[in-house]
Amino acid sequence: MSQSTQQQKTVVTVLKCLKCSYTVERPFKEGDFIPKIDGTCPNDGSPLYIWGIYAKSLVEKK
Amino acid sequence: MIDLLAYAQTANQINNTYYFIFLIVWLGLSVLLFMPGFQQRMYTYFVARDIEAGLLKLENFTKNAKKKTAELLKKSGATNADELTEKFAEWFVIDPVNVEPTDIINRMKLLMRTSEDKIRQIIMLSLPNLDPVTRSKIEVSAEIVNSLNTIYKVIRHYLILGKKLQSYYILLQLQSIVPILIKMAESYEKAQDVFIKGIPVGDSLGPLVASRFLMNINEKWTPSREMVAGETEFEGRKLIVLKAEGPMATVGTPGEAVENVINKLEGRVNRIITVDAAAKLEGEQTGSIAEGVGVAMGDPGPEKIAIERVAAKYNIPIDAIIVKMSMEEAITEMPKEVYDASDKVVEMVKQLIRERTKPGDTVVLIGVGNTCGVAQ
Repeated sequence: MSQSTQQQKTVVTVLKCLKCSYTVERPFKEGDFIPKIDGTCPNDGSPLYIWGIYAKSLVEKK
Repeated sequence: MIDLLAYAQTANQINNTYYFIFLIVWLGLSVLLFMPGFQQRMYTYFVARDIEAGLLKLENFTKNAKKKTAELLKKSGATNADELTEKFAEWFVIDPVNVEPTDIINRMKLLMRTSEDKIRQIIMLSLPNLDPVTRSKIEVSAEIVNSLNTIYKVIRHYLILGKKLQSYYILLQLQSIVPILIKMAESYEKAQDVFIKGIPVGDSLGPLVASRFLMNINEKWTPSREMVAGETEFEGRKLIVLKAEGPMATVGTPGEAVENVINKLEGRVNRIITVDAAAKLEGEQTGSIAEGVGVAMGDPGPEKIAIERVAAKYNIPIDAIIVKMSMEEAITEMPKEVYDASDKVVEMVKQLIRERTKPGDTVVLIGVGNTCGVAQ
């Protein structure tokens, strides 16, 4: 049985509050870079830093 | 009854004729196949067809890369986008003379810097008000176009030469390397989109690790071209962190930066730590971390040797931490495994400093790699 697999990628941006470690992910937008401040933490109002930008692999079987 | 017999006889005669023709054709083919010239021409034909199919793919990769570069230039306001793209595609740097290796590093450095400056000058002449981030994207696109165009033209050259000389052996060698080059070219084409969007690549691992230390340092300086440095204190040690200046798509000049920093401190540095992405071998896991000794840097020579020389001059040990990934992963979007490894590397660096230095010591940490999408 041979099944070909194809890798699809989606790029996500990780936002992190350095005070309370609140972390949230959203799709990458052009202009994002590490460690840009992008919004405030919903818990304590501290700045949310772009902590990481990476590709998630979604393996699809055909 | 007589009619039937006559019909059977005629059918038999037709069958015999077909059999005779088949026998002649079979004998003819056998004779041809035993002739070495014919065999070689047949093999050459099939091998050449296989290479031509690969060459078509390479041509498409090159055309797409040129199109994207021209679009980027037009979007930035260039009126001569196609002319510039063609200039980048045909750009060349002549290797320094290596039969006399004395001073080859300085000559190589001069040629590399001159080439970088010239490409930058060409871009800035057409787009004088360009911001550094877009400029770096155009520079990377120019490099990709140049590499793809060179691969395509070299393969085409040897294909035409092999066909012209009817040389099966030239074509056979070419056929064996074309799949590797197609894979490489495919990665370059994918990389262009990633760099244009400003997404960190696998190779940004080193700058990402350095950025974790630098983001809390307010006072930073420029130790050399396109490099940034910052000084902090870590558990009683003076820690000087260096990386290429982001979020531009550049690798900076890490060798020169380390040399300048250590010379300024008159060699009073106890340890140099280099962090970089490294090519994994087939079968190894992406994101696996390894520790060793030496300068972790995929540089053609000048930057790496600058660190080795200054370290040897002042007898400073050099540590290396690498995170493994494939060539494609290194130049396309940073895989999750590499991102996950970055925080582990930060902890490893801290542990290494604790174990191999004592309070009061000075440590230089260099995050090596392309800093696309990673500032400080």
